[in-house]
Amino acid sequence: MSSTQSAVRSHAEAVQVSRTIDYLGLFILFFVILGGFHVHAMLTMGDWDFWSDWKDRRLWVTVTPIMLVTFPAAVQAIVWEHFRIGFGATLCCISLVLGEWINRYFNFWGWTYFPINIVFPAILTPGAILLDGVLILTNSYLATAVFGATAFALVFYPCNWVIIAGLHMPVEYHGILMSIADISGYHYVRTGTPEYIRMIEKGTLRTFGKDVAPVSAFFSAFVCIMIYFIWHFIGRWYGTTKFLQQT
Amino acid sequence: MKTIKDRVAKMSFLGLLLALVTTSFYAPSAMAHGEKSQAAFMRMRTIIWYDLDWSSDSVAVNEKVNIDGKFHVFAGWPETVELPDIAFLNIGIPGPVFIRSESYIGGRIVPRSVSLKLGSDYEFSVVLTARRPGDWHVHTMMNVKGGGPVIGPGKWVNVTGSMSQFRNPITTLTGKTVDIETFNEGTIWAWHGLWFAVGLAWMAYFCKSPVFLPRWIMAHSGRRNELITDADKKMTIAFMAGTVVLVLFSYGSANSTYPITIPLQGGVLRDIPALPDQRGNVHVKVNGATYRVPGRAMSMDLTIHNGSDTAVQLCEFQAGAIRFLDSGVCEDETLYPENVLAPDGLSSSDNSAIGPDETKTITVTAQDASWEIERMSDIIYDPDSRFGAIIWFNGEDGSRQSAILNEPLIPVFM
Ligand SMILES: [Cu+2]
Repeated sequence: MSSTQSAVRSHAEAVQVSRTIDYLGLFILFFVILGGFHVHAMLTMGDWDFWSDWKDRRLWVTVTPIMLVTFPAAVQAIVWEHFRIGFGATLCCISLVLGEWINRYFNFWGWTYFPINIVFPAILTPGAILLDGVLILTNSYLATAVFGATAFALVFYPCNWVIIAGLHMPVEYHGILMSIADISGYHYVRTGTPEYIRMIEKGTLRTFGKDVAPVSAFFSAFVCIMIYFIWHFIGRWYGTTKFLQQT
Repeated sequence: MKTIKDRVAKMSFLGLLLALVTTSFYAPSAMAHGEKSQAAFMRMRTIIWYDLDWSSDSVAVNEKVNIDGKFHVFAGWPETVELPDIAFLNIGIPGPVFIRSESYIGGRIVPRSVSLKLGSDYEFSVVLTARRPGDWHVHTMMNVKGGGPVIGPGKWVNVTGSMSQFRNPITTLTGKTVDIETFNEGTIWAWHGLWFAVGLAWMAYFCKSPVFLPRWIMAHSGRRNELITDADKKMTIAFMAGTVVLVLFSYGSANSTYPITIPLQGGVLRDIPALPDQRGNVHVKVNGATYRVPGRAMSMDLTIHNGSDTAVQLCEFQAGAIRFLDSGVCEDETLYPENVLAPDGLSSSDNSAIGPDETKTITVTAQDASWEIERMSDIIYDPDSRFGAIIWFNGEDGSRQSAILNEPLIPVFM
């Protein structure tokens, strides 16, 4: 087969090749995003996602969407622009969650025996679908940043509440008040993560009393809009093809 | 066709490898035996652990081990370590092989960080419940914010049984009793699984039709907007609406199952009570101290004044975790770890009793291979070559008195 000849000879064969490329391409994309996004996530919001006693109403709610709207924005910029593929954000988020589960299950549970109910990752699919949906319906990056990124941040706490609510039941533990999650963090010893490293419930939202989660979510949404833009342009720059002129 | 397939297969393999590498990139540290790698001055001049007692060195799963004792917060705290304004009483074990059921400083339970005062002594206790069978090195440990962990002596504790027998029941203020070893796991798996499936379904819908090549060709020939059909938009609206409904439903169901919840609890305990003075009235002045490298021996010229009203006798010298005893005067009865115990390591030029109000000048030598094995002799290479130690005296009336030493140390190389 010479290099000038076509690799396919009939329409049926072309369809078949195209489909093979689809599957393999998706497979590669899924795992490459998984790797890149996972490293990014661990380096930027690692402990909040690792431990149930870090999943608070202020910082976890604020930090996680801000750090995780990044790859979806960049991947959307590439796949929407070049393929009109509408599931860029969801692809990022479910590959990340799968990577996180592999890590938590095999490393945190299988290797060091931390119970799964301490080390589970956050749910991300709902925000990702809303982010994808806004892009498909509006075909506008501006609208996706303003409405999609906002929805991505706002839906984060409500969609995760179902897996953390039980861990927030109050317990009187040897004379002091602790939640189940606090007790888990205390019981299952982490020699490398002493109590003072834990960044929870800190900040200056005291005036809002007990309704800090919505305020944190709105603040997060506001920052997400800007982060979405920045990463959109990173994605765009990443997705350009430039030819160098030979002289 | 075959070359493309080969290349794609190679790339996928690479992708899979990358995914595996990055997912195993982080595992929580399973620390053990970090004690020797710590700078000697940190072990001698920060937190000095003493009067330690391990209640047992062999337990079954679900049984408890108590580690009790005291620690002195060294007044000559080194400049290179942050002051212990925020510190956390930890325990040095390789992961959650035990759970920390309780821990106390000065009688207060301390799941929180505390503030420690230089020069003070505190009583502490840690209650561990065995979870995983094996031989585990259990260290006392204090984390100091900005200073890292200060690791005390470690003792081997053997755990027998099977981890599947381990139970960790807790009763909440709403009257529910749950086993926090496994509590909530079904809910976590179910909702994660459901949302993962929804995400896959969303992607599968768009992957029914060709994904890459034909769409790329159309997108780059100006026909981008034909690629999203009205049916796609309807499906998008359905998915978005379904997502919102499902989120609201899950939120509502969580609230009805757990109507009473509290935020995570944290904060520093700044008013931990210290012990009253633990030293007594024996005063020790160091006239000079040398470490003889070839002999693994530290010699001190001491002037001792007994200001108490009972005769005392020098019995022990403790530097870092290593205890040097004068076997003629006292022996250890606390199951202290052997690797840091020199039962016959202390000798002095004259160890007769020192009467009340008497002053005596003697030469004391602490000699043992553990200086080298525990890498304590590295003190002579530290940027601030001083040693810190506690020296103990037994009173004739059964009392124990001690003095803290904090003096320069001169190495002798020949
Ligand atoms: Cu050890």
